[in-house]
Amino acid sequence: MGRLVLHDVSKNFNGFLAVDRLNFEVANGEFVCLLGPSGCGKTTILRLVAGLDTPSAGEIFLDGKKITGVNKECGFVFQEYALFPWRTVRENIEFGPQAKGMPKDELGKISQRYIDLVGLRGFENHYPRDLSGGMKQRVGIARAYANNPKLLLMDEPFGALDAQTRNLMQGELLRIWENEHISALFVTHSVEEAVYLADRVIVMSARPGTVKEVFNISLPRPRVRTSPEANIFRDSILKSLGAEITRAAAIK
Amino acid sequence: MKSNSPGRVLFINVVSLISFLILWHALVILARNDIFNIPFMRLRDVPTPIETWYALTGALFTQTHGPGLTYGIVDHTEASLLRVIQGGIVAFVVGVPVGIGVGYSKLIGNILNPIIEIIRNMPPMAWIPLAIFILVTGGSIFIVFIGMVFPIILNTIHGVKSTDPRLIDAAKTLGASGSKIVTMVVIPSALPSIIAGLRIGLGVGWMAIVAAEMVIRSPIGLGYFIWNMGDLGRYAEMVAGMIVIGVIGYIMNISILLLQKRFVKWVD
Repeated sequence: MGRLVLHDVSKNFNGFLAVDRLNFEVANGEFVCLLGPSGCGKTTILRLVAGLDTPSAGEIFLDGKKITGVNKECGFVFQEYALFPWRTVRENIEFGPQAKGMPKDELGKISQRYIDLVGLRGFENHYPRDLSGGMKQRVGIARAYANNPKLLLMDEPFGALDAQTRNLMQGELLRIWENEHISALFVTHSVEEAVYLADRVIVMSARPGTVKEVFNISLPRPRVRTSPEANIFRDSILKSLGAEITRAAAIK
Repeated sequence: MKSNSPGRVLFINVVSLISFLILWHALVILARNDIFNIPFMRLRDVPTPIETWYALTGALFTQTHGPGLTYGIVDHTEASLLRVIQGGIVAFVVGVPVGIGVGYSKLIGNILNPIIEIIRNMPPMAWIPLAIFILVTGGSIFIVFIGMVFPIILNTIHGVKSTDPRLIDAAKTLGASGSKIVTMVVIPSALPSIIAGLRIGLGVGWMAIVAAEMVIRSPIGLGYFIWNMGDLGRYAEMVAGMIVIGVIGYIMNISILLLQKRFVKWVD
């Protein structure tokens, strides 16, 4: 389960058209990256899918169910982590199940499972302020997974990390994703990141955002970042994106 | 030694305190011997630090009897503290929910803000005459309540309003709704502000109780004690009472800071 369909979705913010008649799908278990110039509405799309904002027109379906109100079957991973600073690593991961009223002993089992999965054993009782950026995002990912979502929404989750930690976390994310195999919609600025992670890369146009071009990244995993095949994909995506970045700059 | 090492800080603190006592002593002695007096002041009537010390130990450890001296200073302190605690509990129980309501709900804010904005600008002391004639008993507790409730309300509102909206979004996507967002996100996020409000409120409440006890003339309490000692011309006891008020205010402030350290571990 976890099939996402966007049908003619538009979003207007006070007369400012952020997203214009957007159509795309994320198949069950698929990893899709959204790539586009800044300000093209990538974050808006994630917020619409999560139900944190409502489309001005069009419809969004998850497993055939139309999304109205906050979509509790999505796990959202934020760029700035958005961890609860008053909760320890374990308590952050337990937030979702606890909000749903799960009994205490089951909470412990769930959090332990995801603490192990993301490699945070030994840090269960640390507060977020004591963690590095990479570790914070491991908590963010574990917290989303612990809620048993059908779809993961990730908004530039590694954008604030240094290049080395970023590469490491991409590998970790794929390892976790292959383990649980939940559909994922991943927003990024980085072509390299998209080609390394995604089954499909959707290139968005400059504002108002709409689908410009879709690339099927038909490379087997684990992928080699510098392989000639990956470079060919990077090249054609960069060309497609480059035109939009120039247009976005002109709009500004 | 570094200029802010603990040893040096303590040294400077002690020297400063001792210098203050020496200056105090010298000014009184000079005035009493007509050598020097600050114009327009009657420093000769002020007790010296040593006289104050004897008055303090006397009032602390002996039960004196006489007009207005049915109680020792410990009893007066107890009475004042009890009033502050009673008024404080009511102020906390009322102030925190009101602050959360006003901070979180626009509707409740629009209803209560005009009332809060007017009343909070009336000093607690302005309520004393009203308290005397509408309350059969507990007038000074009511004054403490008035003094404490507004700092608590305003700080709670501030804490609630500064909740990071991304945390509320995160909680929503994790399945928390309505009341869960308040109890699991808004209140913990506002807790440091709520405790800060309690600390400021206690300071105001402690000032208010002394003033209220002076005016309301309940026969016990630190405010009553210093007023009465002043009336009787027992200035050493009066100043000793003032010092007790200062020390207790200081201890209350420190206690809340410790409470904050204990319960708000996640803040630097």
